[in-house]
Amino acid sequence: MSILLVLEETSGKIRRASWEALAAATLLAPAESITAVVIGATTESLAREAAEKSVSKVIRVEHPLLAQYTADSFCAALQQLIQSQDATKWVVFAHTYQARDYAPALACRMGQVLIGDVVGIGEGPVFTRQLMQGRLNGSYRHSGNGPCFVSVQAGASRADTGAGPRGTKAPVELFSPNLDATQIRTKPSEPFRGSEQTVDLGSAQRIVSVGRGIKDAQNLPMVQELATALGAELAASRPICDNGWLPMERQVGSSGQTVAPRLYLAVGISGAIQHLVGMKGSQCIVAINKDPDAPIFEVSDYGIVGDLFEVVPALTEAVKAAKQ
Amino acid sequence: MKIAVAIKQVPERDAPVRIAPSANWIEERELQWAMNEPDAYALEEALLLKEQAGSEVIVVSAGPERVGSTIREALAKGADRAIHILCDDLNGRDALGVARLLAAVIKQENPDLVLTGLQSEDVGLGQTGVIVAELLGLPHATMILRVEKTDAGLRVKRELEEGWFQSIELPTPAVLTMQSGGNKLRYATLMGIKRAKTKELRTVTAAELGADSAPTVVLEQIAAPKKQKSTQMLPGSAKEAAAALVEKLKTEARVL
Amino acid sequence: MIILLPNLAEPQHFSTFESGLFAALAAASIWAFWRRFGPIFSKILQSKKDPGFQLFPIGRRVRDFVWEVMCQAKVIRERPLVGVAHALVFWAFCAFALVTLNHCATIFGLGFLDPAGRFGRVFFYVAALFAAACAVAIFGLFLRRFVARPKWLGAVSWESGLIALLIFALMVTYLAAFFVPGASTAARLLWWAHTITLLAFLPLIPHTKHLHLILSPFTIFLSRGGFAEIPPLVGDEDFGLVTGKDLTQLISLQTYSCVECGRCMEDCPANNTGKLLNPKEIVLGLRGYLNEYGPHSEEPLLSKYNSQEAAFECTTCGACEFQCPVGIEHVPIIVGLRRGAVNTGAWQDDQGAKLFLALERGSNALGMSAAERDKFIEKNALPLFDGTQEYCLWLGCMGAYDPRGREIVVALVRVMRFLGASFGVMRKERCTGDPVRRLGNDLLFQQLAEANLEALAQSETKKIISICPHCVRTIQEDWKAYGTPPEVEHHSEFLARYASQLPPVRDREKIVFHDPCYLGRYRGVYEEPRKVAALAGDVVEAPRSHERSFCCGAGGGLVFLGEEKGERVSHVRAEELAATGASVVGTACPFCNTMFRDAFADAFAAKGEGAPELMDIAQLAARGLPE
Repeated sequence: MSILLVLEETSGKIRRASWEALAAATLLAPAESITAVVIGATTESLAREAAEKSVSKVIRVEHPLLAQYTADSFCAALQQLIQSQDATKWVVFAHTYQARDYAPALACRMGQVLIGDVVGIGEGPVFTRQLMQGRLNGSYRHSGNGPCFVSVQAGASRADTGAGPRGTKAPVELFSPNLDATQIRTKPSEPFRGSEQTVDLGSAQRIVSVGRGIKDAQNLPMVQELATALGAELAASRPICDNGWLPMERQVGSSGQTVAPRLYLAVGISGAIQHLVGMKGSQCIVAINKDPDAPIFEVSDYGIVGDLFEVVPALTEAVKAAKQ
Repeated sequence: MKIAVAIKQVPERDAPVRIAPSANWIEERELQWAMNEPDAYALEEALLLKEQAGSEVIVVSAGPERVGSTIREALAKGADRAIHILCDDLNGRDALGVARLLAAVIKQENPDLVLTGLQSEDVGLGQTGVIVAELLGLPHATMILRVEKTDAGLRVKRELEEGWFQSIELPTPAVLTMQSGGNKLRYATLMGIKRAKTKELRTVTAAELGADSAPTVVLEQIAAPKKQKSTQMLPGSAKEAAAALVEKLKTEARVL
Repeated sequence: MIILLPNLAEPQHFSTFESGLFAALAAASIWAFWRRFGPIFSKILQSKKDPGFQLFPIGRRVRDFVWEVMCQAKVIRERPLVGVAHALVFWAFCAFALVTLNHCATIFGLGFLDPAGRFGRVFFYVAALFAAACAVAIFGLFLRRFVARPKWLGAVSWESGLIALLIFALMVTYLAAFFVPGASTAARLLWWAHTITLLAFLPLIPHTKHLHLILSPFTIFLSRGGFAEIPPLVGDEDFGLVTGKDLTQLISLQTYSCVECGRCMEDCPANNTGKLLNPKEIVLGLRGYLNEYGPHSEEPLLSKYNSQEAAFECTTCGACEFQCPVGIEHVPIIVGLRRGAVNTGAWQDDQGAKLFLALERGSNALGMSAAERDKFIEKNALPLFDGTQEYCLWLGCMGAYDPRGREIVVALVRVMRFLGASFGVMRKERCTGDPVRRLGNDLLFQQLAEANLEALAQSETKKIISICPHCVRTIQEDWKAYGTPPEVEHHSEFLARYASQLPPVRDREKIVFHDPCYLGRYRGVYEEPRKVAALAGDVVEAPRSHERSFCCGAGGGLVFLGEEKGERVSHVRAEELAATGASVVGTACPFCNTMFRDAFADAFAAKGEGAPELMDIAQLAARGLPE
């Protein structure tokens, strides 16, 4: 009943999502049967970081050809690793872009099917994942023989429960796969940023949007401060951009951008239909407005009725406090 | 260049979904259907490549009778011909079972490029394209926004997390799964629909393809999420409401 | 009395030379006429046959002909003074038909009206009265064109001046003949002067906009009828107006009938806010196209003579078509050009594509989730229509998703409940297809119309009530192409019917009512909404109201295409409404409502004053209800 937990690296550290996956893995089996896997060309420091966590063992899968991620190299290396291990029951990943790129192929190579994007694990085990754009939940069960591949959605479990340091360090092993440059068919470039000069509201994860309630351009810095604290882009409804207080490219609505961030915070926006159509797809909508009948509350998940000149600074403080 | 585009028919995005009595799928009667949006982007990319380089675009779709309407829509938008894999048990198959069907047909066509959407809007597995690549033994790349033909093969723009991108070069034939939003979709036109009538639409059955359908992963049950979306008003002073909001965003909505 | 007046002087005998000269001149005149008119005539005839054209029932055609051509009713109604002047010229021409025939016959000794005979005398005197009136009228029209110069008429045209002069000369040479002796040289000279004027006039007709003299009676008689009616597409190769091959006989006839009077521009929202679109130029553009390329050309219509940009600036408000005195049907032409561009995929517009894709993939033009509609229905405990209720309350996209539109529905529901009218809403509605119909997307429109018709038939709906004039129009008229729609009425008609049973409001407001294009011009409903508004206050009129109401800018799908360039139509109209000093602007269309809401917010936020309150008539009617 052992688990292989494949950790993912970003800027020399293990990604937070991987620790959430670890928390989820403990729902499948106790920490004593979890083996953490780090993968790359040099994995020493990653292994050190992983060994701090409540895992029974850390395996360093190391090869020069693993320096940069490619689906071909990762699949080949991990396939060899899994085949070298006895009785691996679960292979767990964080459901990241990288895992989505290779885990289905890896599972397929082993005659398996990944249960991806898991948001909950119940008795059985039964894996819950969302269907129909989140309108329904589906319960999945693995019915085949051999290892079961699972990728866990970020936010499904809390990284700070169950994955805390245990005091002792887990042992670290080295695994050197046989890789050949000819196996790797794709040539990825170094990552680059999207063009900086124009804001891309469409891909923003968080947006703070401001409307007519702000009254004057000189009040904008107050909202900007909240946006900065949240790590959000600043956007606006039409009148703000019409007045030239913010550039047109920051306008959300039928004559501007259509956005779908994870968090959309509407400040002083009443919620005319022209605006709603531009942001209704947001995952979580928060509205701050002094009019309790403002239509924006109809589409919001959370609402605060109040004077934005009081609520916004208070919220900025609360966000900053929460981050510390 | 010969391009195969795998498309899926899914319930219309805003269709009210109800759970079927079997409790392991949705009630399909009275549903309206549409082309899966990421697949529509895959088709769009194929059509753009066709306009630039004169490729042949072949649409492949698996599903019951009703899928025909989506296939015709793809033909109307400019695909050259289509293959309908007739199967009534698509929902009972796992990603591998579906990919086997598609791979079997695509293999016969031997295309230079296979495009499909990143994921479906109904079950959202996001695996089919990658598994098709694996089954066909082809290199693949996912979350692609743009495709460029080069002398050696392809150069594609891949989306990474948090506003990063990367470009990838890969040889053809290859499989790409397309992210939404890389291009602007074209709308279906009356002329396209009329012209589509004369295009070839071949039907094969899943049985003829002999692709195994026994699932490794089974969808046992579906249910409505416990919490329905309704507005929670946070009362109290500005400070209290702000604190309450931050707590909710952290623990309930998990967006902080 | 008549006995005392002089007779019309006519030469008694003509020499052979004179008759020869006349015959030669007449032949030349007719030749010059036909040289120009023949090709026009054949272009019209060679154009595509109008699909579905039927001459019968002919009663409507005769009625239109008598009213609009013989009585000149439309010409007079829209511009009374100028209209009467025009009518006098027209009637004089009618009276002169016999005079002129007789005039030409006399040279061959075949005159059939005896100036001294009883009938001849009476007839010539009646004609003289018309001639005098005509001379005065044409002089007045001449002054208008060359001195007053209203902008509708465009640049000064020498040909109009020449024509006026010729008409004036015709009348004067006729009238003068009453004051010379019958056998005098003067009489002979007048005869020749009249004749030469006449023969000069004839070839000028087809060379100038006076072609309408010949064509417009036919245009009016043969018109499709109805208002802004979009004809069906027929066969697999009909995508609307793409090339010259798609121009039908009626369209060609209409383009050559245009008299360039500019009435169509007067209330055109696009033209009045500095847009490219000018309905007159659309028609003249097609005429230019036909002149250069002819009706068999494969040259695209939207290129040299008409622009795609202009075609997509039309709000389909119909102010042009409503006013046109020669029977040109602008809206079907403009929508036809759009159909040609959209059905072939030539129109590429980000917002437009967004709208089409929203309706390809979803049920409403706003791209909202249908679950939002369900939530609204649930929250307000709206009963579902099950076939037992009297009315199916059609929410429409605005009523189901727009917060303000919902308020209108809620108000109407309150009134219906108060009146004890039974109603239910559809479990699922799709957009009626209004915006895509007007934008020319026939594929999408057909899908939407068919899906809705099927759902309504299944639910056994007999009667629909809607707060949206666009829904009403589309359901009643446009869906006919794909089935038999249920009876449908706008809520203003329902509310007006029961107005006497509704308690009036105590605090009365000053209300200015804005006529929505699709309720007024399209449906002819003007008094009902006013009657409802009057429950809550005193109704005043905007400078442009009823048939001449000025569009809010939303129609024709334009509300979904983002903001237009330059001056905004909605702002122009909103200011006009606010300037009446009314405390409430009454609307009867959720699109007008949303356009003005935006406009007022912009205009009055800047000024720091309170805007007039914007209320739908349903909300006004609900004001007097007990809480």
